[in-house]
Formats: sequence, structure tokens, C-alpha cells
Amino acid sequence: MNSVMVKSKDVTLLEILDRVLDKGVVISGDLVISVADVDLIYLGLKVLLSSVETMEKLRGAPFAGPMQEAN
Amino acid sequence: MAINSVVETDFPEEFVEEIEKSQDILPRKIDANPKNVEKGLAKLVLTLIELIRKLLEKQAMRRVEAGSLSDEQIENVGETLMKLESKMEELKQIFGLKDEELNLNLGPLGDLM
Amino acid sequence: MTLYLYGIIDSSDQIKESLYGLEGAGVYNVSFCDIGAVVSETSQPIQNVTEVAILEHETVIEKLMANFVVLPARFQTIIDGRDNLRSIMQSCYKDFKENLARVRNRLEFGIKVIWPADKVKENIIQTLKEGRPWLAEPDCSANKKFIRGKLETYQIDEKFKKKANKFIDAMDIFFSKFAAEKKLKRLKTENLLLDAVYLVEKDKESDFRDAFEHIKSAHEGFKFLFSGPWPPYNFVILPKKNDLLKESEKKDLFDKVIQHMEPAGAREIWQ
Repeated sequence: MNSVMVKSKDVTLLEILDRVLDKGVVISGDLVISVADVDLIYLGLKVLLSSVETMEKLRGAPFAGPMQEAN
Repeated sequence: MAINSVVETDFPEEFVEEIEKSQDILPRKIDANPKNVEKGLAKLVLTLIELIRKLLEKQAMRRVEAGSLSDEQIENVGETLMKLESKMEELKQIFGLKDEELNLNLGPLGDLM
Repeated sequence: MTLYLYGIIDSSDQIKESLYGLEGAGVYNVSFCDIGAVVSETSQPIQNVTEVAILEHETVIEKLMANFVVLPARFQTIIDGRDNLRSIMQSCYKDFKENLARVRNRLEFGIKVIWPADKVKENIIQTLKEGRPWLAEPDCSANKKFIRGKLETYQIDEKFKKKANKFIDAMDIFFSKFAAEKKLKRLKTENLLLDAVYLVEKDKESDFRDAFEHIKSAHEGFKFLFSGPWPPYNFVILPKKNDLLKESEKKDLFDKVIQHMEPAGAREIWQ
């Protein structure tokens, strides 16, 4: 897992991160290659971000093409 | 790069500190790595047991405060709660877990506590 | 061709100004009926989270908000091709329309409040001491002493929460006047009294800001944070259509977990 250290003195960035990484429209399913599923970890005065994980990794199987649709 | 949204505060570091403290202890994904599974599950189980224990304590306190317990009942409750607490300490030691690690951030359910 | 999604807008029109997003790619609107998905083409499916990318994502959305109603997408939502995008739009059309209607002409604002928790606790302990504590006998059993200690903690805690809610409700009344919707997190930590987001009517923005200033000046010793206006990240409500794991996969994962527990002497733990 790569990590990006973000200087948290920038409170604006933290507010953006909280929204952009954890909220908003989430579309999931086989039609989506990846969606941010990032752990926001605050350590001391720094913010640790793990890299975006694909849904493949989560499922432990290679990405399958054919459509599978929402109920 | 123009961001219109602005964050105004005279105390940025204090807010970051609090946000940091309020992080969930439970991981969002289960780490099925064999090395970590045992400790992760122990943490999960103990956190839940701790939750129940705290709820029991709280309920007992409500009864005590309301004066609805006899002297003997208070003695019994005291003894039981003490035993539960020390058993919990034992378990924490066995698994090498600290209080802060078992603090479940319940979010809205925290109001039930 | 992989598409990076910025958000859903309430229009099937093309985007008039030249807009650039991640990897400097051109941003355009893929229309579907009377709404659209705003995307750019991306070369890699997986990217690291960088400050720059985050800001690029947010900038695009905020620029769109100047001309459209926007449902902001989560960062790094990447879709495999136009056909898949079309399917998604088709299945989510109704939900998107409903959300667009709900957030039209509204802006999200965030308010966080830190209160002097230590002082509040001190005051409470002081007042409890002055009242008559239950179980006042000096020599009582160990069990009773234990209960007494717990009771004190409990009472302090209860009063603390009551006080917190009193402050929160008083503030919330002010803010809610100008908000269509809100989400409050109370006492996220002992010090973080309130973590709230409000969906405010556009034409009530300055009233809302005034309300904030008023509350701020009325609470000395409290620390405030005000953020916004934001795209309505916190007010998009979509039903969970797809679980990240299918039922069979959930079972597999569960079996895997149990398997790993066995060698670790799981039986002993559960005895």
C-alpha cells in the first residue's frame, strides 16, 4: 500500500478529503473498474492515505468484463 | 487551480487533533492475512464484549441512582461488576490490547450509551 | 476507453467552457435523457491518491456548479467504457433525478465546534460535590465503594452529555432555520461538541453565515470551524444497489477467515 503524506496544516485539504474520499455518489458493481476506497488515517499532524484499491483486490478475482446489473 | 470552498477557523490544529481522535477503531475491511486475523478478531470480539459490559454497568447505575435496589442487591451488583471489570483486564492483557484500542466509536448509536 | 467520473449533472448539454481534469484530459458531458455524466478519459485504471489529483477533481466539480446542478462523484470512480456508463445511467436514472431535484439551488456547509470540555466537567464535579452523594457512609464494603465510584462517573457523564445536547440544540435551532437538510454528529470526541453539515438554500447563504457569526460571538471559550460552500457530497442519497461482494464471495471470505483461525488455536479462544 503506497502512502501519501499530506501536511494537515491545510485544513481545507482535509475537509476536501473527507468529502471526496468518503462521500458523494458511489457507483459500484462490475461496470466500475475502481472507486476510491481509501483509508483516511490521521497520524499526529499528518494524514496518511493508502492507495486506491480496486474492486478486484477486494474480491480476490480478476476483473470480469460482462455486464452484471443492479437489481 | 481554483477551489471556491473555503475553510475558516482560528484553530486548525485543534480540529485536526479531534478528527484524528474520532477515528473508528474497527477496520472497514477485514484483513484476511493469516498473521493479522487472530489479533483483529480478538480485538473485534473484545470490543463487543466491552460494549456489553459498559451497557450493563450503565444500566446498573441507573437502577442505583433511582434507588430501586436493596442493600443486598447493591452489594451483589458491586461484586459482579467488579468481577467483570477484572476479567476484562485479564483478557486485555492476554491479547495485548489497550483501552484505547477497544474504544468503539458508535456514531449515532453512541447516544444509546 | 476508461472514463473518469466527476459527477452527474441536470443537463444533456455540452459543457461550454474548456474544462480540464485529471491528467490534463478534457472534461465533457455524456448525456442520457435530460441528465448527463461528466467525465474525462483516463489512461490508467489505478492511480494513487495525490493532493494534486484531489484538487483537480474538486475543481472540476466546483466549476460545473457555476452552471449546473451537480451530484459530485466519489474520487476515482472509473468506468470501463461508454456502454457501461450508459447502463449505469439507465439503472440509476430515477435516483439521480430525485437527488438532483433535492439539491437544486442548495449548497452544503460544514460547521464544527470544539467546546471547553474540561471546564464543563469541572463545573459538573463541583455541583455534584455540593449536592449530597448517595452512599455517603465512610466505611462501606469494597463492593459498595466500587459502586460509588462508578456512580460518580456515571452521573458526571450523564450531566456532561445533557449539557452538550443543550448547547448543540441551541445552536442547531439557529442554523436549521436556513437549511433544508442537515446531518449532525454529537460529541464525536469529548472536545468535539459538534460536527455538522447543513444543506442551505442558495439565497439564504448570507443569513446562514450571519447565524454562524452570531453563535460564534455568543460562545466565548468555544472554537469554531466553518467550511463551504461545498458541492452536496453529504446529501446524495443512493440506495445500495450493488454490494461490494456477492453472496458467494461473502461466504468464501468467511470460510477463509475461519480457516485461518483454526491453526491459531481458535478453539481455545472460544472455550
